[in-house]
Formats: sequence, C-alpha cells, structure tokens
Amino acid sequence: MKQLAVLGILAVLIVLGVKCAPGQHDEGGHNGSHHLLEQLKYISVDSLNYEFSRFDQVDKEKLVQIHQLVEGAEQFLIPDRMAEMKSYPCSNCHSKSLEALQAGKAPGEKKSHWDIEIVHAKTVTMQCTTCHDPKNFNLLHSLTGAPIEFNHSYELCGQCHSTQQKDWLGGAHGKQVGGWAPPRVSQTCTGCHNPHKPAFEKRLPARLNTEWLK
Amino acid sequence: MLFDLFFKTRKPVEEDLPQASDGCGSGNCGCKKTPEPTTAEPDGYDMKLGKTMNRRAAFRQMTAGLLAGAGMVQASCSATSTGDKREEGQLKWEEYFKKNYRLMTDEEKSKTVERLERLYEINTGKTINVSTNGAVENVLYGYAFNISKCQGYMDCVNACVKENNQDRSSQMQYIRIHEMENGQLNFDDADDNYFHEVPAEGHFYLGTQCYHCENPPCVKVCPVGATWKEDDGIVVIDYDWCIGCRYCMAACPYDGRRFNWQTPEVPEEEVNHTQHYLGNRLRSKGVMEKCTFCIQRSRNGKNPACVEACPTGARIFGNILDPNSEIRWVLENKKVFRLKEDLGTEPKFWYYMD
Repeated sequence: MKQLAVLGILAVLIVLGVKCAPGQHDEGGHNGSHHLLEQLKYISVDSLNYEFSRFDQVDKEKLVQIHQLVEGAEQFLIPDRMAEMKSYPCSNCHSKSLEALQAGKAPGEKKSHWDIEIVHAKTVTMQCTTCHDPKNFNLLHSLTGAPIEFNHSYELCGQCHSTQQKDWLGGAHGKQVGGWAPPRVSQTCTGCHNPHKPAFEKRLPARLNTEWLK
Repeated sequence: MLFDLFFKTRKPVEEDLPQASDGCGSGNCGCKKTPEPTTAEPDGYDMKLGKTMNRRAAFRQMTAGLLAGAGMVQASCSATSTGDKREEGQLKWEEYFKKNYRLMTDEEKSKTVERLERLYEINTGKTINVSTNGAVENVLYGYAFNISKCQGYMDCVNACVKENNQDRSSQMQYIRIHEMENGQLNFDDADDNYFHEVPAEGHFYLGTQCYHCENPPCVKVCPVGATWKEDDGIVVIDYDWCIGCRYCMAACPYDGRRFNWQTPEVPEEEVNHTQHYLGNRLRSKGVMEKCTFCIQRSRNGKNPACVEACPTGARIFGNILDPNSEIRWVLENKKVFRLKEDLGTEPKFWYYMD
C-alpha cells in the first residue's frame, strides 16, 4: 500500500516535471515576451537561395573587400573610395614630403588645403598628420606609422572609435548599401562622416508638417 | 433572400393600380387611395422591407435595381460609347467581381494585373507594372531602428510617400518620427510635428510605422479577411477586398494603419509605376493602407525606401532567418527592445541604441 502511494506520487512528479521542463515551447503560441528571438536560435534554414543580390543595385567593380580585422569576422564589401577621389593620387601635386614643403615655404605663403578646418577632437589630440602620412601624401598612416590606404580608412578610425568599429563590423553601424540580400555591402566610415568634421550637422528636416498645425 | 425582399406581399392589394406608378413608386406609400394596413403603426421594417406591393410594382423595382447594378456594363454594351470607354466598362465590371487575392489562382492574378495595367493605360496613357511576386522562401523580414542614430531629418518620410504613392492632399504618411526628450519614452509628450532644426538639443528621435507583428491583432479583427500575414512575415492588405470598417485601425496598438478618408490624389508625374498588388498600387477612397516594408522592393532584394533614404544609417533591414545578416547581428549583439512587448504581438521591428 505504502509502495503504491510512493509510486503514485512519483508518477505525478514525473508528469509535472515533463510539463514544466524548460525549453518546451509551444511552437504556435506567442506567450513569452522574447518568444520570436528565442525561436530564432533554434530555427535552422537549410538553404538561402535568393534570385537577387546586392550586385543588382551596386556595381561590383566599384567595391572593395575590407581587410580581416578580427579573426573569423566576415569580410564584407565597401565602396571603392580611391576610385571616387577626384585628384588622386595626391602626389600629382604634392611631390615633396611635408618637411621639404614647409622648409621651402616663403613667409606668409598659404598652406595647401588652408580651407580645411579640422573639427575632430582637440588639437592636442589630432592634427593633419595624425591621419595623413607626411612623407607620402598618397597614404594615411596609423598612430604607430604603419601605412593605411584611403580605401581602408576604417583601420585608422577604429584606433580610437573601437566600439563604433565593432558595431560596424557586425552590422549595427554603417548604412546598408544596395539592399538586404547577401553579399553584404556597407558604407565605410568616410562614406557618411567627413573625416575633418565627422559630426552630423543640424539642419531643417526634409519635410515640415506645418500644414497640420492649426 | 432577394426575392423575399421584393415579394413580401403580406396582403394582396387590388389587382390593378395604374395610378401607383406616377411618382410615388409602389403600392402602399400613402399618397394614393390604398387601403390602410389593418395592423398597428408600421415600424421601420414594415415601411422599408415589409412594404406591400403588387407583382407589377415588384417587377418594376427589380428592373430598376438591376439596371442600376448594370451601370458598369452599360458602357461596355452601349453601341454609342467609344472603344476605350467600352473596354474600361468591361474591365471595371470584371474587376468588380474578382476574388480575394488569397483565393486567386496564378492565372486569375495575372488577369487582374492585366486589367489594372490596362485601366491605368486607358485613363492616363502611361504604363504601370504591377507585380504579384510571392514571398521568397526561407525569408522572414525584420527591421531594426537605432534611436541613437536617428537625427529626425525625415528623409525617410519623403522617400516613403514618394515610393508608395500616398495621398498628397491629406498628407498621408506611414512613418511618424517622434521627437522625445532624453530620459523618457513617452508618446503623449512626444512632438510628431516639429518644425525646427534637428537634432534638437536634449532630444532623441524614434520612428514608428507598421511593425509587421508575428501575431498581428489587426488581422484577427478583419471581418472580411482583407488583411493577412504573408509567409515572409509582411502584413498586407487586399485593397479591393477591404470594406473600410477600420476595425484593424482600432485593433493596432501601434498606430500603424492609415485610412483613405478621401480619394487619394497623386499627380501622374509623381506616381511610382513600379508597383505590387499588395503594396504601392493606387488605392481608392474608403480603404485601409499601411507600410508593407515596400513589398515591391523588398521581394526583389532591395531595401525599403526608408532604409535607403536614411542619411544616418539608423535603419537596418533584412532576413532574420539568415544567421549572417546584419539584422541578425543587431538582434543578437545589441540591447534591443520593442514597444508594448507585454501585448504578445511580437513586432518584427526592434529598437536599439549604440
């Protein structure tokens, strides 16, 4: 009799245990607040075959692949900036190094690109040569002097803006280019931010809903 | 049913009443000497539906009703109307009796598209292209909005209006950009109609539109099945099946749906001719519409117009079933939230911050 009672209780416990076991989601239901996100973890899609790609919207030739910055990170595509720069290579005009240029300058002579104002960090932190290589104007350089091509300026920006770079590498920062389908194409840092004045400026909205005001 | 209505002859009237035809319509309208009903005061039902009438009057009414109903075919049958008018009448007649989009066969879909394209050509001389592209397999669209990035420039709203042929005269907009004070998320205090330089000091901007809920309350309440969720998660409307009851508008907890109170006006030169049956094709008065994630674009791999227009990159769109998509990375690596999570509507539209 006693054994039967124990067995009975055990059976009830097992049934309850099965019912309340975690991870047992009712597939069609929508009860948990993160249900959809939870579900995503378990959904495996066998094949993603799209009849379209971002190359339908952007010219493949005008894109470059980013360097592998983090191991395992996806190497997506960004617009080829060097092809877009109007007076590249810079050495067409600036054949001497900065040092030689400064030495040969007449008193009161204007600097090259005098019109560019740097509104990017304080002057104690940044000046022209923080990013531009003073020995070779065709290149940028890192804080330690390693050469960086204009196309790969994200390597330079990421030295300080590491959180933004992390978001950019993942896909949370940086405008999607050409659509949503693979392969991934994103804007590069300088595609949206003017490196000499990177903050977005105040302006009037594109549309004023003033007619609604009564 | 129809016959019940017309032959409700509870009480036979004198066989012939020639005077009943002149002006006052049928039998028992009181202006002619007809016997009063023996029952008490007639109520609304008696006056309208239970009207006593003779056979001749009944036939006369039926004929009149049929003629009115056949107004649309009239043009097509008339020998005097021009060819285009005739064709238009015929096409409109066929359009009027088409099925709900979901019940159409592929052939019927292409037929209705042909009619819509031809009707537009007859009316404007321009050609449109109406797509009926179905959902792409293994795709579930999702959207992420970065509230740290949005600066309130409203380029998205302009792009949306242009892309989706929204009514210009009523300033129909699917997207609303809410200007909110830092530190609170309160729609009552938010300003949706700001008209100053943006971003305003101490404020952030949050955009709302249709969230394409996985569990959409608007779909549940539609009494005629004119709105539903497609396989790729886009909630769509059959504009020709919608009766304009606006139940869905009331059921949506997010103010995602819009109603055409008047005939939408879009200048022909501004009409986007690349259309989708469930998307941006031209609507008529008295039907609901809303954001469709630009179904005419997204099903071809393009981003919705708002995503493409955003100058700050605050809008991310993609397939949430694709583990390598940008949207998936946002969902898995950023702190995301949705509005009114407790309702269990499961919007596929997330907000996140830098």
